[in-house]
Amino acid sequence: MTRTWPWRPFLAPTIAAIVYGASLFVPGLWEAVLGALFPDEVRVLYHAPMPLLVWQTLLIVAASSALSIGIGMGLGVFVTRPFGADFFDVVTDLSNLGQTFPPIAVFTLAVPLLGFGFRPTVFALTIYGVLPVLHNTIAGIGSVPPAIVESARGMGFTPGQTLRKVELPLASAVIIAGIRVSVVINVSTSTIGAIAGAGGLGAPIISGLANSDPAVTLQGALLTTALALILDGYLGAVQHVAEGRSAQLDAA
Amino acid sequence: MISFEHVTKRYEVAERPAVDDLTIDVPDAMVTILIGPSGSGKSTTMRMVNRLIEPTSGVVRLGGADVRDLDVEDLRRGIGYAIQGVGLFPHWTVHENVGVVPWLLKWPQPKIDARVRDLLDLVGLEPDVYDGKYPDELSGGEAQRVGVARALAADPPVLLMDEPFGAVDPLTRDRLQAEFTKIQQALRKTVVFVTHDIDEALKLGDRIAIMREGRLVQFDKPECVIAYPADDFVSDFVGSERALKRLSLARVAGVASETATNDWAASVPRSATLREALARILETGEREIGVSDESGNIIGSVGLEDVFAHFERPVE
Repeated sequence: MTRTWPWRPFLAPTIAAIVYGASLFVPGLWEAVLGALFPDEVRVLYHAPMPLLVWQTLLIVAASSALSIGIGMGLGVFVTRPFGADFFDVVTDLSNLGQTFPPIAVFTLAVPLLGFGFRPTVFALTIYGVLPVLHNTIAGIGSVPPAIVESARGMGFTPGQTLRKVELPLASAVIIAGIRVSVVINVSTSTIGAIAGAGGLGAPIISGLANSDPAVTLQGALLTTALALILDGYLGAVQHVAEGRSAQLDAA
Repeated sequence: MISFEHVTKRYEVAERPAVDDLTIDVPDAMVTILIGPSGSGKSTTMRMVNRLIEPTSGVVRLGGADVRDLDVEDLRRGIGYAIQGVGLFPHWTVHENVGVVPWLLKWPQPKIDARVRDLLDLVGLEPDVYDGKYPDELSGGEAQRVGVARALAADPPVLLMDEPFGAVDPLTRDRLQAEFTKIQQALRKTVVFVTHDIDEALKLGDRIAIMREGRLVQFDKPECVIAYPADDFVSDFVGSERALKRLSLARVAGVASETATNDWAASVPRSATLREALARILETGEREIGVSDESGNIIGSVGLEDVFAHFERPVE
C-alpha cells in the first residue's frame, strides 16, 4: 500500500481525452471533415452543440454505471457471504436473463413506467451493465486463496474487515475488468436512449437515420466510439495498476 | 490453559465424527503436538480453540472459560495463529503483515512500528531490509519466518500453528525448527502445533497427542511415545527406526559416566544426542569415547554399554 501510484498508464487516455474535448470546441472542424467525406450532403452536422450531446451522454453513462457497479458489486458480495449463499444461483440466473433481453424492448417497456427521457434510459442501461460487474465480483472474490481468508479470520478480522481489507482489494483487478466491460457497453448502448428522448450522442445517429443524412449519423457514431475508447483506456489503466498489486497473489 | 472436555465435531455428510469425544488438557508453557494421518481430526481440533470450527458437543476451555462465552474476535486476537502456506496478505508489506493483530487491537502506530522491528529481529530477519518488502519478494523460508513473527505480534500467551513449516525444503525446515525451539525456550508460550511429520513432532514437542479417525490414541512425552507406543498404529506411525529416534531424544549429558582417564581417541560435546554419540563411536571404531563440556574439557565418557543401558532404563 506504500507503493507509489503509477501515472504512466493514464498518460495516453488523458492525451486522447484532451484532443477529443478540444475538437468539440474548434469551430468548423467537424463540419470540414464530414463535408469532405460527404461532399454531396447539404446537412453534415446535427443541430445541437456537440459539447451538450457529449455532456448528456456522460451523465447517462455516469448514472447507469454507478448504479450497475453498486448493484453488481452489492449482489456479488451478498451471494458470496455465508448468509447470501442460498441466493447464488438465483442471482446469477436472473442477471444472465437480463443480459439476453433485447435492449430496445427494455426501453419500450420502461417508457410507460418511467416516462420519456433520462430515467428509462438509465434504467435499461443499468440492467445491461450489472452482469459484467456481478460476474467479475463473484469470480474475483472466488479467486482469493482460502488460506488468506482463513488466516484473516483466525487473527480476529471481523467479517466486514475481511471483506474490505482482504477480499475486495485482492479481487479488485478482476472486478475492475468487469466494470470496464460494463462502462463500454453502457456508452455504446446509451445511443439507443435517443429513441426515448434522452438526447446525447444517440440523437445525431437517430436523426441521420430518419432523415437520410449519413454524415450526421457518422458524427454521432464517431463521437460515441471515441468516448467509449477513452473511458476504456482509463479503466484499463486502473485495471493495470490493480493487476500489478494482485499479481503478488501468485507468490503468496 | 487449554482443555477439551468430551469434544465431538460431527459433519452431516460424514459417517464418522471428525473429532470423537476428545478429552485432553494442553499443558501451559509447552509445545503440544497434534499429529496423525490426514483425516485424523488434528486440524479440526486445533481450530476449535479459536472457534474457526465450533464443536457439535463438549466444551473447549481457554483459561477456564468456555470459548463460546468469549467474543469471537477478541478470542482470536488473543491467540497467535500461523498456518501452512503462511497466509500472508499479498497486498500488504511485511511490516503491515506482522503488525496486523496489534493494528486490529488499535495499538498506537509508534508502538506497532517498534514491535514489528523487534519481532523481525527475533525471527532473524533484518528489519531495515525486510520491513517494506511484499510477500512475493520473500523466499519460502523468509515467508514462514514472517508468519511466525505475525503470530507472535501481540504477545499472545497461546499460539496455534498448523504445519507452519510445511511448505519449505528440508534444510530450511531444519533451521526454522531449531530457531523455533530457541524462541520457544525464551518465550515459553502455550503452543498447539499440528503436523503430520513424526520427526518434527519428536524434535519440537514437549507432549505429543497422536490422533486417528478423530480419536486420541496416545498423549505422552516424546520419549514415552517412542518407548511405549500405545498400540500397533502408534508404533507403525512412529516408524521403523524407533530405536534411533529414541537415541535422538536423549542427551549425552544424561548417560555419561565420570572416568579416571581423560585420554580418549575421540569425543563428543555433552549437549550432543546419544544418536550423535553412537555415530561417532561407529565412525572411530572405539567402544568408548570422551565427553567434553562447553569449553572443550573432557569431563567423562560414553560408550556402547551406556547406549544399551539407556534402552534398559524405564522412561518416565
